[in-house]
Parts: sequence; structure tokens; C-alpha cells
Amino acid sequence: MKTGKLLIVSAALMALLSSRAGARAESVRISQIDPSMLLFRQDVKVYVSVTGRDGAPVKNIGKEKFSVFESADGTNFTRIPEIGDFRTMANYEEGINFLLLIDNSGSMYLDMKQRLTRDRSAMKFSHAKAAIVTFLKSMTNPKDRVGLASYNSYYQSFSDPVADRATIEGLLARIPEPVGDEGHTEIYASLSRAVDEFRSVKGRKAILILSDGENRPYYRYAGKPHRDFGTKIYSFEEPVRECQEEGISVFAINFGRGGGRRDVHLKDIALQTGGAVFDAGDGSELVRVYSRIVGQILNEYLITYDATMEPADKKYVKIRYAAGSGPVEAVRFYFSSTVFGLPLKEFGIWLLAPLILAALLLWLLSLIRFEKKKGDATIEVINPGSTRAVTRAFKLNKGQTIIGASKGADMTIMSGVTRIREKHATITFDGRKKKYTIAGDGDFKVNNKRVKTRVLESGDVINVGGATIVFDDGEVD
Amino acid sequence: MSSIKRRIFLCLVGLLAGLAAWPAAEITLLFQAGFPSYLVFSVFLGTIFGVVIGAFFGSGDGIIMSHRRSIITGVVKGMAIGAVGGAAGFFIGQAVLFLTGEYLIHSMRRFNTVGMPVSRAIGWAVLGLFAGMIDGVRSRSWRKVRVGIIGGISGGFLGGLALEYFRIAFPGTVFARLLGLLVFGLFIGLCYGFVEVRLSYGVLTLLNGRFKGREFLINQKKLGIGALQKNDIMLEGYHDISDSHALIRVKKDDVFISPVEKGRVLVNDDPVEEHLLKYEDVIKIGSAKLLYQYK
Repeated sequence: MKTGKLLIVSAALMALLSSRAGARAESVRISQIDPSMLLFRQDVKVYVSVTGRDGAPVKNIGKEKFSVFESADGTNFTRIPEIGDFRTMANYEEGINFLLLIDNSGSMYLDMKQRLTRDRSAMKFSHAKAAIVTFLKSMTNPKDRVGLASYNSYYQSFSDPVADRATIEGLLARIPEPVGDEGHTEIYASLSRAVDEFRSVKGRKAILILSDGENRPYYRYAGKPHRDFGTKIYSFEEPVRECQEEGISVFAINFGRGGGRRDVHLKDIALQTGGAVFDAGDGSELVRVYSRIVGQILNEYLITYDATMEPADKKYVKIRYAAGSGPVEAVRFYFSSTVFGLPLKEFGIWLLAPLILAALLLWLLSLIRFEKKKGDATIEVINPGSTRAVTRAFKLNKGQTIIGASKGADMTIMSGVTRIREKHATITFDGRKKKYTIAGDGDFKVNNKRVKTRVLESGDVINVGGATIVFDDGEVD
Repeated sequence: MSSIKRRIFLCLVGLLAGLAAWPAAEITLLFQAGFPSYLVFSVFLGTIFGVVIGAFFGSGDGIIMSHRRSIITGVVKGMAIGAVGGAAGFFIGQAVLFLTGEYLIHSMRRFNTVGMPVSRAIGWAVLGLFAGMIDGVRSRSWRKVRVGIIGGISGGFLGGLALEYFRIAFPGTVFARLLGLLVFGLFIGLCYGFVEVRLSYGVLTLLNGRFKGREFLINQKKLGIGALQKNDIMLEGYHDISDSHALIRVKKDDVFISPVEKGRVLVNDDPVEEHLLKYEDVIKIGSAKLLYQYK
């Protein structure tokens, strides 16, 4: 499993390195993989977006600029000979899932010039809330869904993505000010946590992070292990890799003063995940955030190809885009395991042995005749009913066999409900006629008929005080 | 065969079915990359799997009755129905696995230890649902179909889990799938053995003769009793039994017995035409005596 993880990490790092190489140039991102038709049509749909150096989508790219590769291990990729279907996407109807991640560290309660203030409307946090409200109002598709979370030293989720904007606005007003050791800014760890929460959401996903400062990990600055992250300090590559794996683009709104306090890697995170950075000081830019995201999706490319049959629990898909400055790549994976899983590494002729063994054992079983052999005549209790059958079975190898309640009886049956006599019934064997006869003063039945005496046939059922006793003469023919 | 022996026997048949299905599955899996699509691969592997499972469980009734022709027809019918059931089960199981796996792989951090085993188990449970039905369809018993479904789903789910966790506990093992298939077969056998008695309309137990102790479950609406193999309850080795001697019918949960043509049927020593069976009635057909009970 460690090898698997290593492969994923190395694949992601490769993708990361290749995209970093072109971080300031064009980048390609797989926003979604749809393998829902894999079983029926053998095809996989890949939604790809290409962004330029300014983060704006690159339009009108031809099919010949893309190559598709598949890999069972994330390392050795096989080129798919032909792209099946290729089209530019306009599938905005299904809506976008946004997660608004708002900085709630201590510095957000200063004014935009980093000064202490008691005027709540002048605080950066109020500006951030206003920016979110602007964003919410600019959303035009009713199928869009919005979730809300905040971060400082700790990540706190307030709502999963919901369609109702008013709910989010209401929750926004209830985000509490940080107290005690909550003033730190765990940007990367919180982004990573946000991706985790966003995993289960299907469809297109974008995180909108509002930040005023740099990543200030709790463990490094407080000098003690973090409640949730322990001694781990996240690097910015981690949320980038996770966002790329999940096809989540990060859009950042910067509240830092003139860029001085802005996080150095927030732009990297945004660009490498196909997002962009906006400056909170520029009100016109804030209004454009939503249309920018939608524009990006409207300019996605849909690539459909025939999947390979290489056995793997998950398959890695690599899209290579021949950018002007050199090829850029993106890698994502989809689930491809079969019901029985992966084949054995090698075929051994010994594999046939269990099949032969099972068939042989079945054949041996078929030879067994589940038949009774001729034996002694017996009486056997098959259902004690409400009684206590002290004797379960008895061979009738005496002239007389007594069924009764006494311990001296050959077959002792006791009941607290029905009165059973000490000698309730007697089975007598007539050696000359080879017949067994049951007789007695007690109340008993043979084949559900009350009798005082009767010659028994093999298979007759005697009922004494509720106990069902079967008489068998031992013959098989 | 008594009830206990029948249960043990059915479990054994289930284990043997799992044992036989393993190499059949492994060999097919080795050639996965050579198949043109997941669709063809799933149908092919499901057919192979169903044929093996169907053949083993199909032989069960014949072996219990020690009747070679019943074994052969049971195996052939089981294979044919198994091929259809296995293909359908594997195909739908694969579709469900793709769906759950794709969802969980992107939404669960502990995918390898929780998500994958659960996805696999769900896929196996769907396969089990169909595999468990095979013997019920073969014997035209809807109650047995229901019982098989219970066994197949539970056995499939646990088999799929066993496979994954065995693989996690012993990385590199080649026997994980074998363990899964043994659990799979065992559970179907267990359910046939343990649940079918409870879901049946009653049991007829032979009280005398060569096959004393053998139990016949009344798990279908109509059962023929007679000397010929075509009967659901074949009384072989008894005197005075005609080819088609009597008929058991289930009407609104009541069980009736009636003679067929010139057959003579005694219930509690009295000849009957159509008789509603009561608990512990003693039925005499030729020289054979049967006890009617329900549990």
C-alpha cells in the first residue's frame, strides 16, 4: 500500500513539477472525470480546462493539441491512440459547488491599513463578508450551491453546499471572533481540510478563499502541537496536489495590504489549480469573480476516449496539452476495479488443482448412498413435545419393552402436564409371527388414533404424553 | 438425510463450489487485458462463475437422493441457469461497484481500508444475489430463490470484505480471493440449509425403509410424489408406489395431499381423497410412511 501511495505522490509531483514549469505560462487542469459509461460503452469522459498566464481560459484549442494517456500504476503511461469525441463544453446547467473559506484570524479584525479599530464596518472581516455577499448576489444559476467554512488556527465548517444563499448570509453573520490561541492562520492545512470536506460533493467544485495574510502555522508560532494537525506543518503543495486530484479550482481574494502581507504561495495555489487571485481593494474585480469562474467552465473541453483494459483498482488519466511554451500535463484518476479485483501476478498450473479437487470431492459425495442399512428394530423419540424424554432411542431386542414414567422403564418419558403411568405401554415381540404389538392401560395414540392395543408397522408413530415416538422394524425393503 | 446432515452437506457443497470457482475466476482474470471491453469481460467472467456455482449446487438434490440421473440433470440445468444468473449478477455487480467505488474513492480518506472493502463487498453482494437465486430457479421454488438471495447477499458481502481484509492483513497473498469465494459459497449453503426449513410450508420426513430420516421440504406450491424421477419427492426402494402416486398442494399456506389417478393415500391409517395436513399427520404411500411437521 505504501508503494501505491508513493506512486500517487510521485505521479502528483510529476504533474506538479510539469505544471510548475509552466506555472507562469499556460496550465491544463482536469476538472472532472466521468467514467459512468465505462461498463456500457468502454468510454471515459474527461473535462479539461486550459488557462493562460493571467489565469484566463484559453479558447478555441484544437483536438490535435491534446493527447490522452492511461496508466495502471501512475508511472507507466500508455498513449490512447485516438481521442473519440472532442468538443468545447457549455454544460453550465448543472451548476457549480462553491466552498467559501473565510479568514477569521485576529488580523481580520483590523482595518484595511492594519490598524486597530472599534468601527466594525472598517474591519477587514466586514469587507470580506461584503465581498461574499457581492459574490452571492452575482450568482445567476439557481443550481449553484454554496458551503461556508472559516479558518484561523482551526478549521471550522458552518455549512455543506446548499442552494439557499440566505442561509449562507445568515451563517456568515454568526461567525464568532477568534479568542485565545485562535489567532493563527493555518491557510494550507485549512485548504487541505476543505478539500477533504468537499470530496464527497459531485460535479464541478471551486473553493473561494478570502485571506489577509500569510500562512502562520500554529505549531511553528505557538510552539506546541496543534489540536487537529499535531506537529505537522502543511506546505502549499499539499492542497495543490489534493485540489488537482479532485479537480477543485481555488480562487483567492486577497485582503492583504498592497501585497505586503499576502501569502507568497496563494497565487501558486490558485494558478496551479486553474483558479485566479483577486484583489479585495478592487471592487470591480470582486464583481467579476463569479463570471470568471463560470467563464472558465464554459470554456472547458470535453475529451472522450476508449479506456484500456489493463487491470487496476484505479486508472490514472494524463492529459497533455501542447502549449506554446512546451507541453503541460494534468493527471487524475478514476475507479476501475472489477468485482473480483486484480489478477494474480503469475499463472501456475497448480491453479487447476482446486478445481479438480472440488470436482473429485463432489464425485465422491455422489457415490455415498445416504441409505439406512438393515438393523435392529427400534423406537426413537423424534419430538419430545412438552415431555422430558430420558431415553431417546431404544433397541427392541427383548421380548417386552416398556414405555413409562418410571426409571425402570425401558424408555422413560416424564411429563409435568400429562399423567404418564409407570408402565404406560408395552411393546411385545412375537418371535413366531415376527410382529410387534403395543398394548397398555395408559392413554396413547398410534398414528394419531387412540388405541389400547395394536400390531405395529414400520414407520408407525406412537404418541405418549405429547412425545412423538417412531417405531422402526429395522427392515429396509 | 436428516436435517442436520442436510445442512452440513449443503455447507460442504457451498465450500466446494467456492473452491471450484476460484481457479475458474483466477484464470479468466489473467486474461483481462485481452478482453475488448469491461462489458464483455464482466459477462464472460460472470458466465464462467455462474456455471461452476450452478453445477455444484445443482448436484445437491441428486446427491441427497442418491440418484445419479438427478445429479446429471441437476448439474446441467444448474450450469445453464448459472450461466445466465452469473452473467447478469456480475454485470450488475460490476456496475454497482463502479458506482460506489468511484464515489468513495473521491470522498473517503480511508478508501483503501474502508471504502474499497465496502465497495467490493457491495459488488459481491449483488453478484451473490443472482448466484443465490440459481438453484431456486432450477428447482422452480420461489421460496428457495428467496432463501438463496439472503444467503447470496450475506455471503457475497462477507466474502468481499474477507477478500479485501485478508489482502490488507497479508499483502502479497494469493489466497485472498479463495477465502472470499469459500465464504461466499459457504453462506449460500448455510442459508439453504438453515433458512429454507423455516421458510418452507412444512417438512415430510420418511419414517421407515431404506431412506428413513430423509426430509422433503415443502417449498413450492405443488409437489408430485411417486416412484419416477420426474417427481419432486421420489420414493425409490419402497413397495406399491405408482409412477405418479400423490400430489401435495399449497393453498393459502394450507398444505393438502391427494392421490393421483389410482394411487392410494392413507393419512393416520384412513384412506383420503383430498386431505388438509395437520401437524404430525402420518401419511402412508405404498410401504413408505411420512410424517408431516412444520417448524
